[in-house]
Amino acid sequence: MTLTLELLDRDEALLESIAVLQGDTRAELLRKAAVGGAAMLATLAAPAPASAAVSDVDILNFGLRFERLQATFYTEADEFGTVRKMPAAKQRWAEVLGAHERSHVRIIKRILGRKAGKRPFFDFHGVTETDDGFTRTAVAMEDLTVALLAGVTPRMHDRRLTAALFGLLTTEARHAAWARHIVNTTPSARSFDEPRSLDGVRATVARTRFIAAPPRMTRQKGRPRFTG
Amino acid sequence: MRRAALVGCAIGALAAGAVTAVLGSRSGEKPTPALRALPRPIAPAFAPGPARPLGSLRHVTRWAPVRRAAIARREPAAHAAPVTRVGTKTPEGTTNIVRVLGRRADAAGALWVKVGLATLPNGRAGWLPRTVLGGYGSVDTHLVVDVERFTATLRMAGRVVFRARVGVGQARWPTPRGRFYIRNRLTRFAGATYGPLAFGTSARSEHLTDWPGGGFIGIHGTDEPQLIPGPISHGCIRMRNRDILALAKLMPIGTPLTIS
Repeated sequence: MTLTLELLDRDEALLESIAVLQGDTRAELLRKAAVGGAAMLATLAAPAPASAAVSDVDILNFGLRFERLQATFYTEADEFGTVRKMPAAKQRWAEVLGAHERSHVRIIKRILGRKAGKRPFFDFHGVTETDDGFTRTAVAMEDLTVALLAGVTPRMHDRRLTAALFGLLTTEARHAAWARHIVNTTPSARSFDEPRSLDGVRATVARTRFIAAPPRMTRQKGRPRFTG
Repeated sequence: MRRAALVGCAIGALAAGAVTAVLGSRSGEKPTPALRALPRPIAPAFAPGPARPLGSLRHVTRWAPVRRAAIARREPAAHAAPVTRVGTKTPEGTTNIVRVLGRRADAAGALWVKVGLATLPNGRAGWLPRTVLGGYGSVDTHLVVDVERFTATLRMAGRVVFRARVGVGQARWPTPRGRFYIRNRLTRFAGATYGPLAFGTSARSEHLTDWPGGGFIGIHGTDEPQLIPGPISHGCIRMRNRDILALAKLMPIGTPLTIS
């Protein structure tokens, strides 16, 4: 069965966010798009702290989690050969975005140091393995990233961190425009991008289920049954 | 709405002022006092380093957990001959993982994944629908056990990071040779026979098939370190306890295992 955003996004959270950002027509287009996967973000669905209590570290850690999601998404598609089979211009787009997202992960991780959260376990449900699924998910993800950064950047307490997040925000906005150009839609459909709250993005990510419970591969107190 | 419009006008005016200032300075006019007073941009707290393309995948191996029990097939098609049933749990109760060897879409566009199987005869592969697997994990480690020289060597991204002497199967219960993978890790179990820690592998004894759990080969510690190195076990790979603990710090689950 071909998975679509409609199937994955049963609560329409992702489509809703796309509709807000890009207009209902684009959301409707994506609704029927083969995507693949909706089992991932349970970990992110954990209760969020009240907005007033959100610290710069909280925001950076959520940003790290989101950047890891993106970086793994592009890296998997690249490693699986999905990107290699694309036309040259599209291949370059996917490779550049992947490299950018990996550099974002590296720097945020370095800034957070010991306060950096653990890497989640990702399950993209096959979308990194097909051109169509990858492309459509990338478009939605880049738009969501812009909305996230627009929402959280003004909440930063440290002005120099705010300035750094602005640098990420404008870069991600370029990514989003490039992604939309790749699928032949208007790179900038609206005159103003509505910001999304941390909780709103968290819930959207949770519904995509790209962050999954890690497999249990270690056991304590279980007697080995190996041949010895 | 009105506020947004006002903000928009203000930004527009500022931009127009900036353009005027730039053009003005080029034409020799003095910048306005307001713009001269603008502070320098706030220095960002960080800036990402250079964006680098993916490195070599030469040493990368992928694995995936089995989320739903399924029949592995000889070809990537629902009607292809079955190879074996693949469950979601190992005999030790941990999540069953499979080594990913390849992927392909069938005629209907459904994805299939070629996986290494923990079944007899050793070394078999089969195709599972992508939908029964979870997300992919990856490792850049590789453990090589030489049953002739009684050594275990762990490489990380191709570089040797660990080496130890081992005990292997006796002549009547030989350690199977071939390409396998590490499936799980057990700790804090009762009894000293297996030492403080044991790794489960996808390798199976071809002689002790009625062993509880199916005769899987483990890599573990021992309460008889004086017997190492040598052909001393029922097929398992034994290490001195300090060695197995050192290995555990370096070797993730999913690591490919070559026994030669």
